[in-house]
Amino acid sequence: MRWVLFLALFFLPALGQAEPPPDLSPEVFRIARELRCPVCQGESAAESNSGVAVEMRRIIAEMLQEGKTEEEIKAFFVDRYGEWILYSPPRRGVTLWAWVLPGVALFLLAWGLFAYFRPRKVPKELLEEAERRLKEPPA
Amino acid sequence: MRAWLWILLVVALGGLFFWGMQRNPKELPSVLAKERRPAPDFTLPVLLPYRAEWGETFRLSDHLGKRPIVLNFWASWCYPACYEEAPVLEAAWRAYKDRVLFLGVNTQDKEAEALKFIAQFGLTFPQVFDPRGRVGVDYGMYGVPETFFIDGEGRVLARHAGAIDQATLEKYLKEALP
Repeated sequence: MRWVLFLALFFLPALGQAEPPPDLSPEVFRIARELRCPVCQGESAAESNSGVAVEMRRIIAEMLQEGKTEEEIKAFFVDRYGEWILYSPPRRGVTLWAWVLPGVALFLLAWGLFAYFRPRKVPKELLEEAERRLKEPPA
Repeated sequence: MRAWLWILLVVALGGLFFWGMQRNPKELPSVLAKERRPAPDFTLPVLLPYRAEWGETFRLSDHLGKRPIVLNFWASWCYPACYEEAPVLEAAWRAYKDRVLFLGVNTQDKEAEALKFIAQFGLTFPQVFDPRGRVGVDYGMYGVPETFFIDGEGRVLARHAGAIDQATLEKYLKEALP
């Protein structure tokens, strides 16, 4: 009995947190997650409950029902809002830098570290000098 | 030589950061206005007080290309901005009604609330009802209020986001009028 109570206490909060199932398919939310909500700062069209985001999800659902592809749906929003609406910058034009620069930076870092820690060749004259000093009797 | 390269790199990065700091993150250009695109067409129901004069539904393409159009997206829940600009729009409509068409698009709102707003400000220019806000998406709207200026050819000339004041409104109207 005590165990039942314990388990009930343990699972009740989880029941309270269970969200009602969204009225749209997961596919709609997957595409909406890649689009910015125009009104809110830093929220995707999947998370926001602002009027525009709700309408965007509805449009995505309708376009999916019409058999449109994800690319076509994204193009629809880019056509109206510009590429700003996309969360991942397109891999061309100016925003190509956003993809290329991190790689370049990592390469430069690796190269710099390698150059810094690389065993250096000691010049021959120095080696000979050291040999000679070793052989000299201590004064 | 190498030292110069490093200095150049630091200066270039500094310049890039400085340029980035000068940019306004809230500035959102309108695709339609930038490319002077033809105004997207729509057909929406006319709100009750305007049906006698404008009919049951309003189709934008019936009015495009005849005279400039001022398209104002608003909602009764948009306080204070929509409340600030309503008298400005009404006054401008009364001054320009023979040369420019003003059209209000009530967006994502309840009809009763919208009618209350209209009565409060005594708006006399036609008002259409878009509870879903679908037309706003076609115009690349971010939020209410937003005002679009459509020229005499039916192309989008400019977009003003936020409450519009008289000076700005007059400036765009002068641009739109031949």
